[in-house]
Amino acid sequence: MATFLPQFPLFPEPVLLFGLLLLAGIAGGELVKRTLKLPRIVGYILTGLLLGASGLNLLDQPLVDESWIFLEIALGLVLFELGRRLHLDWLANDRWLLATSLLECTLSFVLIYVALTALDVAPIYATVAAAIGISTSPAVVLLVAQELKAEGQVTERALNLTALNSVAAFVLATMLLAWIHHDYQAGWTMVVLHPVYLLSGSVVLGYVASAGAIGFSRLLGKHAERQFVMLIGLVVLSIGAARMLELSVLLALLSFGVFCRNVDRRYDLMEVDLTSVGQMFYVVLFVVGGAKLQLTDLAAGGLIGMAYVTARFIGKAIGVITLTPLSGVRPGTAGLLCIALTPMSGLALAMVHQTTTLYPEFGAHLATIVISAVLILEIVGPIAVQFALKRAGEARTEEK
Amino acid sequence: MTAPEMQFTPSKDLSFGVELELQILNSRDFDLARDAADLIGLLDKTPHPGAVKPEITESMVELNTSIHREHDALVAELKVIRDAVAQAARRLNLHIAGGGSHAFHQWAQRRIYPTERFEHLLEMYGYLAKQFTIFGQHVHIGCPDGDSAVYLTHILSRYVPHFIALSASSPFQQGEDTSYQSSRLNTVTAFPLSGQIPFVHSWSDFLGYFDKMRSYGIVESMKDFYWDIRPKPEYGTVEIRVFDTPLTVERAAALAAYAQTLARHILVDRPLAPERDVYTLYNYNRFQACRYGIDGKLVDAYTRRTLSLREDLLDTVKLLGPHSAVLGNGAVLARLAADVEAGRTDAAWLRQAYKERKSLNDVARMQSEEWMGKAGAPS
Repeated sequence: MATFLPQFPLFPEPVLLFGLLLLAGIAGGELVKRTLKLPRIVGYILTGLLLGASGLNLLDQPLVDESWIFLEIALGLVLFELGRRLHLDWLANDRWLLATSLLECTLSFVLIYVALTALDVAPIYATVAAAIGISTSPAVVLLVAQELKAEGQVTERALNLTALNSVAAFVLATMLLAWIHHDYQAGWTMVVLHPVYLLSGSVVLGYVASAGAIGFSRLLGKHAERQFVMLIGLVVLSIGAARMLELSVLLALLSFGVFCRNVDRRYDLMEVDLTSVGQMFYVVLFVVGGAKLQLTDLAAGGLIGMAYVTARFIGKAIGVITLTPLSGVRPGTAGLLCIALTPMSGLALAMVHQTTTLYPEFGAHLATIVISAVLILEIVGPIAVQFALKRAGEARTEEK
Repeated sequence: MTAPEMQFTPSKDLSFGVELELQILNSRDFDLARDAADLIGLLDKTPHPGAVKPEITESMVELNTSIHREHDALVAELKVIRDAVAQAARRLNLHIAGGGSHAFHQWAQRRIYPTERFEHLLEMYGYLAKQFTIFGQHVHIGCPDGDSAVYLTHILSRYVPHFIALSASSPFQQGEDTSYQSSRLNTVTAFPLSGQIPFVHSWSDFLGYFDKMRSYGIVESMKDFYWDIRPKPEYGTVEIRVFDTPLTVERAAALAAYAQTLARHILVDRPLAPERDVYTLYNYNRFQACRYGIDGKLVDAYTRRTLSLREDLLDTVKLLGPHSAVLGNGAVLARLAADVEAGRTDAAWLRQAYKERKSLNDVARMQSEEWMGKAGAPS
């Protein structure tokens, strides 16, 4: 047989996989959008479910592992974009927005903790799971908002609250590492220094990246295309650097975005839109996210999952509904806002993963608690966000 | 049978008031936002003088002053309203800007403010309704009676190029430099009921014209005429509508003071008789002012000479001397004249901002910083 021909069996190339996932996701997204009028994200996730372990099992664990690089870039881009949506000036001008965030973070944390311990989950697991539950899925909120071309107070407030609760969740989950280390009898250096290194290192990396972006943009001038490429370059570079330095990719990229928005006082950075390139990574992110979900988990952890989701929603709802009206927004905004904060997704799983790489068995058990909630909210979340933004009249596709 | 709102309510002592249409910008890329309803809702809960109202698209808001007699009181009130609007905007993470046009928004993305009237306008005018997302200043001048209002309207028509050149602040549209100083008025011209008052000489003749137009079913009220200058009988005023919204409220008050002083000259001195040729030359003179601003030409219907608009403006300010003294507008008009001499206009400021920053997003941001000042910023 000629040696230039491919040898059987054929091994799928990662790039081939990326292309296939993209096409399958887009097809699924379009189908769901047209037939059910639901957000495309739901279609991506359902495509993943169909291809994944719970469905045809075409996208099995080894293949999912192959796709890590795309997922990392996708999450990095999402967090960078989200960071750029966090306006610190706004928090100074509307203190009630900051207060709303603090209250909804605290209440969702406390209520999830209470609900889980009531169901006999050990305190350490309940605490870490509750910390993860503080965060709203940035990818879902951002993507549904972009898909609907939504803008307005509900959209902007939801994005800012999501950025804030993601920060709170990261910081808390990272600090809780100390407890986990302690529980596993790690040395005191590990207990203290690991969280400190993760937090400060990731934030410093984000700052350095933003300083690089601002300096670079001064050099490039106001050219959207060049600044676009420069930003993508820095996002990917920061993801790589964070991995290389054993830092948190999530926190580093979120800080990168926040610094870009709030440190660039001379406005050298242009507001370039990364959606076009982000979109293709996001499709893969959600298809793979769907493939990872096991419907059997829902049966196993169904009760915990329901309790988790309910407690989290009540916590966020009370926080948002009591304080948002004090920001002076229109009646109705608060209710829609707490619906828009519902989603949980791959980010939560990434946090589980990040928190627990050192202790796989801890991670495995934690995952069983969180994953059924994620399973429920992966599907419900995008629909909730779409409902909230449309009902608020902020979706551009609403146009007659 | 003439409708009651067409009865001319007399106004005294050259009272005047200002309406400003303003841009609502987002804080991300300084494109137009869509938050008019939230902004107005928040301002309804905040005590402030004047009024803040919706305009045709959700990216606009209109600010009205009360009725004034003196420039100083007008500018003081405008500053208080500005600060209230700026503070409310900051709480909603919005920016407010003056200027006759937004530099780079895309009209197709605009959404009509949901009221019956605005939705009717969208239905009737189609895309023009969305393109109408342009920002003007209206100045109301009080008149003692309808006949004076008709007379004032005719004579002010000769000075329309002045108003345009002084206020021009819409050099950019849809992301491009239009080469005009005021590109905004080109958008107004597209409307079928834009233009000027018919050449009538008394209020009763005007009512005859109005009733005829209404009997044809073309108009329902004075609001349906998008004229450059129109009588507003229910307020007892003549409303000048050709000004672009200036970049600051101080400039807006100065323009109103110029109009007030000119109106005093016209109503007290009765210097000219209405002249049909003013309207023959009207569109050409208006174009010159829009295109070239104070560097344009003006063909004077009364002397039949071609003048430099800048010279004519400076001569007029001199001519108005005694009247500005009586009204207390001397200092304001002197500053306006100095700006004209030095070529300082808002359109020039905007082009300079673009030259320095090479980004229209930055122009829009600087425009909003110019309008809002430090009002309501956290200390």
